[in-house]
Amino acid sequence: MAVSSMIVGISDCKVTRDADSVLVTYALGSCIAVAVHDPVSKASGLLHYMLPESSIDVKKAEQNPFMFADTGIPRLFDAVRAAGGDGKRMIVRLLGGAQVLDSQGVFQIGKRNYLAARRILWKAGILIAGEAVGGEVSRTTRLEVGTGRVWVREGGAIERELVHNHAPKKRSFSE
Amino acid sequence: MPPELKPTYSMDQDVAASETAQRVAAEVLETMFFTEAELDPCEHAWISPAPAARIHFEGSHFGEMLLCVSTEAVDPIAASFLGLDPTEVTDVQRGQMVQELSNILCGAMLSQLWPDSTLALSSPELTQWQDWPAEGTLHRCFRTPEGLLGISIRLVAPSLNQATAARTSEVG
Amino acid sequence: MAYSVLIVDDSPVMRSFIRRVLALSGFEVGECMEAGNGIEALTQLSAHRVDVILTDINMPGMNGEELLRRLGADGVLKTTPAVVISTDATNERIVRMIELGAQGYMSKPFTPETLREELERVLGARDASGA
Repeated sequence: MAVSSMIVGISDCKVTRDADSVLVTYALGSCIAVAVHDPVSKASGLLHYMLPESSIDVKKAEQNPFMFADTGIPRLFDAVRAAGGDGKRMIVRLLGGAQVLDSQGVFQIGKRNYLAARRILWKAGILIAGEAVGGEVSRTTRLEVGTGRVWVREGGAIERELVHNHAPKKRSFSE
Repeated sequence: MPPELKPTYSMDQDVAASETAQRVAAEVLETMFFTEAELDPCEHAWISPAPAARIHFEGSHFGEMLLCVSTEAVDPIAASFLGLDPTEVTDVQRGQMVQELSNILCGAMLSQLWPDSTLALSSPELTQWQDWPAEGTLHRCFRTPEGLLGISIRLVAPSLNQATAARTSEVG
Repeated sequence: MAYSVLIVDDSPVMRSFIRRVLALSGFEVGECMEAGNGIEALTQLSAHRVDVILTDINMPGMNGEELLRRLGADGVLKTTPAVVISTDATNERIVRMIELGAQGYMSKPFTPETLREELERVLGARDASGA
């Protein structure tokens, strides 16, 4: 079975229900990847966003809504639903949000990106099934559309599967 | 005798208490309110009209905590907790939110600072900002993207009844 | 199978938070009742059967510790699992509540997912025991 990789760039989003596809995104530093999968219809989506709030640059958000959490996440879910995804069945995972020095020398954007996703998803009525966030490592992730399995490579470590691991009791973001 | 129970103990001088307050504020706001809190210089122009809640604690330690949340921060923080839009937050929920936030902050702080203590917290009461004497009061302000928070906490000498009750319950 | 739940907490917004987690967790929740303290909880329990009780500790009127004591002394109610949800995370309190029969203990703050996980554990254990 030939596997077709769909690369999701920075400030990008791709959705498919092709069971032979794998959605991949690289270089998740302070950015967040939101991986969504409906195990019945296979409708799946991967969003890679950079910043939490579009209000800082409305014009940019109009040009590319996937740059921001508050414009990108709703569009991701709309697209997955349009591809046949059922909201109640969707399995959602978050990856990224590392504390890395960004272009403004600020460490906190990773945490802010993560908190933005949590806030938006809670408001939308979605609990997450797993996450690989924080720390200081860059991540690469892939979502297998046929199986719903999510894999993550953190820094130079071996790729591992992100199994169901609910968010920790208390957020200790630097760990 | 634990250092915090000695007559010379002053909460404003307790480095562990200060660090705990910072850590707990960040932890609480990130975990249940999906926002971040960073230590901020205490400039109190915002504080007098701010909604506040006061909570008493007793047991092995007697004291009280006061939480103020800046007017512009209450609705977005409450909305984040409840999964609502800020415009949907009612007056009643606003007050309840400040009360519950004070409850969570106080309990978490004391549990982390003194994990082997016995504690009973009162129901938080809505109130106004009070400028407690600096000596003996640990006071910190925090900035969130939504606005500002102020936390004051201090130990107070128990009343005779409270002290007797505490000793009785320890003896069992 | 639809579960019925009793939430005992004097904070209405905390009860809302917990109720929201229940609604989003994927459990089939048949009835979700609320009480503001132990007295109201016992009143509810005298009229309704529940599958799990989620209770705070510090509440006016009757606190969570006394509520667990009363539940443990009741021949019928003592089989209903109770999970404590409290800001009090001191060691002595945790031990005492477990000794009084609490099946779980969650200290605030906690994420919605952590509460879901705890409910899965407690309800799963209950289902497995055939209660």
